[in-house]
Order: sequence, then C-alpha cells, then structure tokens
Amino acid sequence: MGCVFCHKGDAAATDMKAAHNGIVNKPSDNLKLCGMCHKPIAENYGKSVHYTSAGQKHGVAGRFSEAEVKAFDEKVFEKGCRSCHASCGDCHVKAPAIGGISTGLIQGHKYVKLNEGKTCAFCHGGRVYPEFTGEYGGSVDVHYQKGMMCTACHKKTEFHGDGTAYRAKAEVKDRPKCTNCHRLGGESKLTARVSHEKHSGKVSCYGCHSSGEYRQCYDCHLGTGSTSKPGFILGKNPRNMREVTTLRLIPTVRDTFMKAGITMENFDKLPNYWNAPVHNIKKRTERTRNCDTCHVEKKNFLTQEALIPNGSKANESLIHSPKAIPIQR
Amino acid sequence: MRKLKLVVALCMITMLLLPAALMARDIAPFESTGWLEKNLKNPKVVIVDVRKIEEYAAGHIPGAINVFYGSWAIKRGDLLNELPADDDLRDVISAAGIQPESWVIVIGKNQTMPERTDVTRVAFTLRYAGLENVAVLDGGFDKWVAEKKAVSTDAVKPKAKPYKGKFNKEFAVNKDYVMGALGKSVIADVRAPEFFNGEKKLDFVPKMGRIKGAVNLPPGLLYNADGTYKSKDAIETIAKPVVGTDLAKEIIVYCDTGKVCTNWWFALHDLLGYKNVKVYDGSSMEWLKDTMAPSAP
Repeated sequence: MGCVFCHKGDAAATDMKAAHNGIVNKPSDNLKLCGMCHKPIAENYGKSVHYTSAGQKHGVAGRFSEAEVKAFDEKVFEKGCRSCHASCGDCHVKAPAIGGISTGLIQGHKYVKLNEGKTCAFCHGGRVYPEFTGEYGGSVDVHYQKGMMCTACHKKTEFHGDGTAYRAKAEVKDRPKCTNCHRLGGESKLTARVSHEKHSGKVSCYGCHSSGEYRQCYDCHLGTGSTSKPGFILGKNPRNMREVTTLRLIPTVRDTFMKAGITMENFDKLPNYWNAPVHNIKKRTERTRNCDTCHVEKKNFLTQEALIPNGSKANESLIHSPKAIPIQR
Repeated sequence: MRKLKLVVALCMITMLLLPAALMARDIAPFESTGWLEKNLKNPKVVIVDVRKIEEYAAGHIPGAINVFYGSWAIKRGDLLNELPADDDLRDVISAAGIQPESWVIVIGKNQTMPERTDVTRVAFTLRYAGLENVAVLDGGFDKWVAEKKAVSTDAVKPKAKPYKGKFNKEFAVNKDYVMGALGKSVIADVRAPEFFNGEKKLDFVPKMGRIKGAVNLPPGLLYNADGTYKSKDAIETIAKPVVGTDLAKEIIVYCDTGKVCTNWWFALHDLLGYKNVKVYDGSSMEWLKDTMAPSAP
C-alpha cells in the first residue's frame, strides 16, 4: 500500500501543492479505512471509551440540568473533550499530541503493535504513568519494578472495546483486578492473610497498598485548565460507599464551565473526590506495617476540615473515621 | 614453648587477615565495557540496568536484567533519594536474583550527572545491602552502544531467590550522627563550587549554603570529557588535598539529596581504599531545613 491509500492526495501530481490536494492528515479517524482489513476490531473500537471519550461527558453530566447537558455537548464536549479521542493511528503509528504539541511518530512510520511508553504513557502521563514509575510521588510501583508495563494487567478488549458502548471506564467489563493474580487466602504470612480477611470488602487494595502521594487536581476552568499538587487522601468510595479507598480530587469546581454559560445546577449531587486506582502499589506501606496508622492516628483520612472550600455538599458523605481496634483480654 | 608461641601468633595473624581476604574485591569498582563483554557469560555476573523499562525494552546489554532506579531510592517524607526500608530493599535484591557472592555490574545512561549518579547510587545501595563485588560500567550504556557492542531486545526475567546478605549499616548516617561528627570528621560537600559557596541552590533545597566546616569535592571532577572515570592516580591526586591521606579517617559525603555524592563515596571507599566513608542520606535537603544545624556561609 502506498501513501495515497490512506492519506489520499494526488500521487501523479508534479508539484507539492497539487500532490497535497485533498490530503488526509489522520486517516484512521475514519475507522472504516482500518476496518477494511481489521473489521471486528474497528467495529468494536468505534464504541470503545478510547474512541468515544464518553467518560469525559458522563463523568460530569450528573451535575447538569437537562438543558445544560445539551449546552455542554455543543459548547464543550464536541469542541474540547472530543479532541482527546484516540483513533487507531494514535496508538499504532503516532504518539499522541500533548497539549497540542506533536510528540512524533512512534517508530518512523511503521505500524507498531505495542509501545506503552510512547502511547499509553503520553495520554495517561498526567496522572497514572508518572505515578507508576515513581517519577510523581517518589515511589515506584512494585509491578513496574518487576518489569511489568500497562498490558501486563490491561487487556486488549479494554483498549479496543468489546462492542458495548460504555458510558465510562468504570462500567467496562473485565477490568483488571488485583485478585486475578494475588489470590486471597494464598498469602504465605499469617499476618497478611488475617489482614486481608479482616479488610476484605471494607477497604480496597489501594487503601492499604498505595505507597505515597499522588496527583490531586484543583480548580479547573474552561480555557485555562487546572492546577495540581501531590496528596494522599483516604475516604469512602463514592461508587461503593461500603468501601474505604484512595480518593483523587477532580478539578471540577462550581464555575468550571461558566464561560460556556453552564452553572451546573446539580453541582452538589456529585462529590469532588472520586475513587482512584492509584498506580503506586507496594507490598509494605506505613498502613500495612502498623494498624495504628489508620486505627489510632487516622492518618490521611478525609476530614471536614480538609475538604476543599466551596466544594460539593456530597463530599461530606465520603468522610470516614476508622474505629479503634478493640483490645481482647 | 617457643614453637607454641609462634603457632599462636601465626593463628592470630591468620584470623586477623582472614576477614580482609574474604572481603577482598574480585572485580574493580569501575569496570570497562571490554571487561564486561568478555564476562557476559560469567555465571557470577549480574548486569543490573537501572533505566526505565521502555528504554531497556528498546535495547540493552545481552543478559542484563532491568530494575528501575526508583526501586532502589525512594522519597521519604520530603526527602528524595532515600534508602528503602531494609525489608523492602531485601525484596528488591531477592526479586533480582542477586546473591552475596554475585558480581553485580550496574549500568545506566551516562550523559548527565543525574544519570551517572543514578548508577553510583544503586551501586552504593547494593554495597550498603552487603554486596562486596559491585561495579559500575565505566561510560555506561552510551559507551557500550557507541562501541557497537551487542545489544538485545529480549527481556530477561530474573530468577528470584531470597537474599540473606548482611547489611553494611555503617555506610549511611543520619543528621544526628553528622552533628556529632562536626569538627572531628571530614565532611565533604559533593556539589559544584557555586552550590558549595552558597551562590546557587536547587528548587527543592530549603536555602543556599553548606554544612559548616565542610570541604568541597565537586562531582564533575571524577570524569573525563567523554563521561568515563578518570584514572585511579588522577582521582587520588584530586582527593588527597581535600580529604587528606589518612585512610582510616572518617569522611562523610553529602550533596543535595544524597544521590550525587555516591560517586565520590564509591571512588573514595572502593577505589582509593578510604576505609571509613559514609553517606549522609538526608544531605542538604534535610540539613539546611534545620535552623539549628550549623551551616555556612
């Protein structure tokens, strides 16, 4: 296949201007093109969250009135969020643009099956990836230490989709679970087995094994973006209130979309803190080493005083205060 | 009776010398690319590549395993480049399949000072953990590639084995220890002269200045223009006027975070034979934050 098969233009032209007439910069934006040979993948991919960016819409839509949802779709989502969607070429040919700046081809113009360091890492480089390598927070994830990259846990169907148009990442079936590899009850140390039994269903794996500070994002405003700083926050999982987990502050504030005329009538329905699968796992942390870290000191737990000013009223429901461990005589 | 005394004396001498003989290095602290090429198949050799996984995956020295730098030096509180807890460090070494009798060659990138000292920091950490035969690859992976030596893209999965080496805890000291050593030991500031003189500082260091009474051993003095280490004689000529000639004298090296100073720790202790060299892990980040800690200028 020559260049024009994908990029169009006029191969017979003798000057550059004529040759570039009708050229297509990102041919794989049209999934039918890749689908000519990779039909099942392309069909599924069209419904995947990587392609639809649906998570960016539905994550915040709960704060809007019906009219605001419509305004958000027109003024924000299609013009802003959707620009983040990835087509086939964004992972297999060209590393994604970051902040509008091209990061170049992955390996010449070769189609690369997999290069997590230049694809996953660039799009997810604000939070997940630098936390995974320890470059943000200062403690490398034990899986990275042992040579594991993204696809060691995240499987193809997560990237390409399984044919279902999910509204958000959290809904996707067959996402990685720690217990896929680390079977509960198979621990070699009694203390580990007992701790896992006691906390199972009550605390997420991240709650104890996330090893250090991770990125918390503040004050996002349409057009100017947000700011961030490191932090470590424990509280109730807004998606499963029976569980304590690591929380990440998301940057939506009351006037985030004011420029688009969206006041977020239902702002207080959703919290500002969300459960975060922090990728900085370690076998031992201060919480696994000492029960008192949580049960006496209550270190890093979200408190009324620590809540962001003028945040959502729903934030209060995430505050959790661990009980003291009863002493058995 | 005289014979008995002679035998006892010989036994005592043997007992005194035996540990030194057992502790003797089998490999040089700075090994060359040529040496490594000849020893790639030596079963004792463990090549530890401390670059990022994706850099390792793109090409590495055949047989090298990858254990990223961040596994060996962690952030603790506000302090960067700290030693991991002993049990965590033991886990890292065990997962890499390193044993006390291994010959470990640490390799990484070699263009900048932070890259060069990623390697010496890992080498120091392995020495701290009790390994005797630890070397850094002189010139690093950059020299290996420049010499067009063999490169592999086959990832090597190390065979994990519990590491039971005895830690050399005396190699690293804390702020209180340094405080007690002021005026008694040589405190060597391993930073560029403008940092030592209090004219510049890095963002994460609380203020300009140095530990009061410190002498300056700039980190760049160890290297040739091509990034390889200077000869032992040349390094000795630089070191002696600064830290003295008494090989038993206590020397404490520090820098901004405790990483860069490991290049001089390695050179002084393992190359030149200074027997009592320590790293102050908290370094300027910790010392210059403490208003009670004597500093200059």
